[in-house]
Amino acid sequence: MSPIALIALIIGVPAVLLLAYVLITGSSGLRRYILTRVALTLPMVFILGTLVFFILRILPGDPVSSALGPKGTPEMIAHIRTQLGLNDPLIVQYGRFLKNMVTLKFGNSLVGGHRPIIDEMSERFPATLELIIPASILALVIGIFGGTLAASKRKKPTDYGFRIFAVFIYSLPVFWFGLILQLLFGVKLGWLPISGRIDPIIGTTLKTYTNIYSIDALITGNWPAFWSVVQHLILPVVTLGLIQSGLFIRMTRANVIETLQADFIGAARARGIREHVLIYKHALKNAMIPVITLIGLQVAILLAGAVLTETVFSLPGMGSYLVERISARDYNAVQSVITVFAMLVAVISLAVDIIYSLVDPRVRY
Amino acid sequence: MKSKKFIVIVSLFVLASMLLAACKTSTPTSASTTPSASSPDTILIGTTDKVASLDPADAYAVRDWEVIKNISDGLLTWKPGTTDLEADLATDLGTVSADGLTYTFTLKDGIKFGDGTALTATIYAAQLNRLLTIGPKCPNDVADSLAVPFIKSIAAPDAKTMVFTLIKPIGFFLQILAGAPFTAADPAIFKADACNLIPTAPVYGTGPWYISQYNPDEQMVFLPNPYYTGAYKPKVKEIIVRFYSDPNTMALAVQSGEIDIAWRLLSPEQLTPLKSVANLHVGAINGGAIRYLILNHTMKPMDDPNVVKAIASSIDRNEIADTVFGGQVTPLFSMVPPGFLGADQSFDTTYSSPNLDAAKKFLEASGYSATNPVTITMMYPPEHYGASTAAWMQVIKKQLEATGEMKVTLTAQEWSTYEPALTGGDSYQAGVLGWFFDYPDPSNYMDPFVYNGGEGTNVTKAATGSTTGTPLNDKADQLVKLLAQADSETDLTKRADEYKQAQAIYADLVVTLPLFYQAEHVVYNSKISGTSTLASPDTLNIGPNIVFYYSTLSKSK
Repeated sequence: MSPIALIALIIGVPAVLLLAYVLITGSSGLRRYILTRVALTLPMVFILGTLVFFILRILPGDPVSSALGPKGTPEMIAHIRTQLGLNDPLIVQYGRFLKNMVTLKFGNSLVGGHRPIIDEMSERFPATLELIIPASILALVIGIFGGTLAASKRKKPTDYGFRIFAVFIYSLPVFWFGLILQLLFGVKLGWLPISGRIDPIIGTTLKTYTNIYSIDALITGNWPAFWSVVQHLILPVVTLGLIQSGLFIRMTRANVIETLQADFIGAARARGIREHVLIYKHALKNAMIPVITLIGLQVAILLAGAVLTETVFSLPGMGSYLVERISARDYNAVQSVITVFAMLVAVISLAVDIIYSLVDPRVRY
Repeated sequence: MKSKKFIVIVSLFVLASMLLAACKTSTPTSASTTPSASSPDTILIGTTDKVASLDPADAYAVRDWEVIKNISDGLLTWKPGTTDLEADLATDLGTVSADGLTYTFTLKDGIKFGDGTALTATIYAAQLNRLLTIGPKCPNDVADSLAVPFIKSIAAPDAKTMVFTLIKPIGFFLQILAGAPFTAADPAIFKADACNLIPTAPVYGTGPWYISQYNPDEQMVFLPNPYYTGAYKPKVKEIIVRFYSDPNTMALAVQSGEIDIAWRLLSPEQLTPLKSVANLHVGAINGGAIRYLILNHTMKPMDDPNVVKAIASSIDRNEIADTVFGGQVTPLFSMVPPGFLGADQSFDTTYSSPNLDAAKKFLEASGYSATNPVTITMMYPPEHYGASTAAWMQVIKKQLEATGEMKVTLTAQEWSTYEPALTGGDSYQAGVLGWFFDYPDPSNYMDPFVYNGGEGTNVTKAATGSTTGTPLNDKADQLVKLLAQADSETDLTKRADEYKQAQAIYADLVVTLPLFYQAEHVVYNSKISGTSTLASPDTLNIGPNIVFYYSTLSKSK
């Protein structure tokens, strides 16, 4: 089984189970809503893929000339274009693209080793997952607890501190912040590795199943590899996670402050409920609804942030893959990556909507 | 309460699963005993190059050739650190027939691939014929540049003899033969009927190393070939090449000790701080990477010989080298860089630039003046040749406009659009390009810019059935004939003289305008050393052809 199939299984099975659970136990309104969303996702991905297909071909430039450079003679370029099917009528190419999209095979890359794109994504996608999941968790933990703390200490030094931190950290460019961390913790102090996913020598001993190295190291019991992966993740995760936390701090703070002014909080306070229970159990839970929405929207932003983080830390993930292939005009790869990203964002948005209804029973569809 | 119990049970289950998995594979591995990047047995090399193809019948990029040359041998090779030829799989440099059309080589005894299969002349000839047959169908198509135009047939009359019959006499054939396309590819991996761009590891050849692992865009692991019988046996147990997407990260990695060697491609801005780091050594290899201007001789105003001569007279290469690169590039006064056969200073001899008075005279002869300046649009790719490209193009603009009779507009264009437009010869008046040779010979620095449209210079027009194309004028015709003669000449003295004559005509025509050549740099820590008995140990025995032989490397404890 290919790593990407395994990952799809790991993510897909719980997702399908969740969906089935909600469809069975949920209200008829929720069922209708979910089925409509699923039905709308398919044309959305189709329209996006079609737009990307035609925009790429309208753009000037050519993958073959770009790859061969000055050494490519017109005969060589024409010959290779024919081989790759780039001289076929646009409608034929579009038909091929649709077929590849429907079968999720994506075809072969037009540059580099001309390998199947599904294989290249199998290698790249796990690296991105391994980066954005812990980065999201870090951003959420800092954001939610920082924002709540700031709200509970409103107009006090803690509040000002978190507000300044949030604006400052969110305004930092990813590549600059990453470079500073590399220089400080990698070069100056020598505490942490600055590039790659794993120590090169330890990496040769890691048997991979999912290509998510931390999971592979865990399931094979390769603890040196696991520790090495964790060490290599610290700087990129901190870079991406801290920057994203700025937005969550501000969002959570604003919502908790608003909730704390609600009547039910006043009533609870009058009943003598302790302040921290009031804030963390009652106010925070109610303030989480817009934050959950934000989490869904942040996935797309995290993927964009991952492009720069992956480049700065030389992590071979989907973001850096997309940038490389756009530059090389690798139509097939760009179309495929954007399709996968679109599906990912659509699935996560749907999941967020479902979680929304589970977290807040008042929400009805 | 129920939900809390559920969470506890699930957590315990996950923990137990992890422990079980850990116990199941708890047998000690080498990782658990030697997990260190500073191992004396392993050398870590960083690069920003990508691997595009490892099939000798297809590969046409510097990184690919480097890998192939380390895992496979050819009949001939370049002595490490030089462009001098020496016998590799052949017993000697071979014999050539009197008409220059037939080359004969004898194979050494006992040659084996890394999997133990013996190499015979029959297998080798079949694999090289694969270059002629399958090669042109592969995506990088090296065959149509370096094999098909020259070779008529390759035969093995017996198990040890190989005979090459050429289409026409080629003065530089032995240089071509030393390249990666002519190495012995393992028939078990590279089958006769298909290209195999990225074979699954292990990948064997007859060379000192074999590829034991390859994680694309991450790292490639080389281990010593146990059957290697050649002259350059590995001195360490393992080489790992690590791929970087950002040269800044690679520079930091070599500085922090994460890698031992940073090899290609660090810019002057990244190299400067590394030179002052205590444990690092920066070696400069005066390779053949040149930068030049393509001038389109069929587009106005470049179709006017006086305009192109005025441009050639106005350029101050030293100013570009000093102000933009801090002296880290060398002015280039011929397309053939110094050190190559017949290289001279033809542009300096012809124009003694910068000579603004001469430039003005050329322009005024065509009716241009300060009130009627010639307008020129120059194109450049902003990123492909490094971020400094815009800066040195600005210097060129300033130098041309210093005549007062040229008005220059600079326009940046992204590479994938820029390159086909410039070399197609229909769109741009002028633009910058870079070149690195396929084989170390002057022909490879001149022919491509003259023959068949000349990469957008249009001094010839591509013609069906012609290897050179139709010349634009009498001087171009003279140049084409002289180059064709020099290409087929096998006497080195005569060839050198013919290329000198050709360079003079080339400069007079200003086919292209050579600007500077850039050294390649290798950065390595103090534990790493090259082989002192070979040429260029300071650059880890990497010579002007920038072939990096990993087996010359040692690492101290």
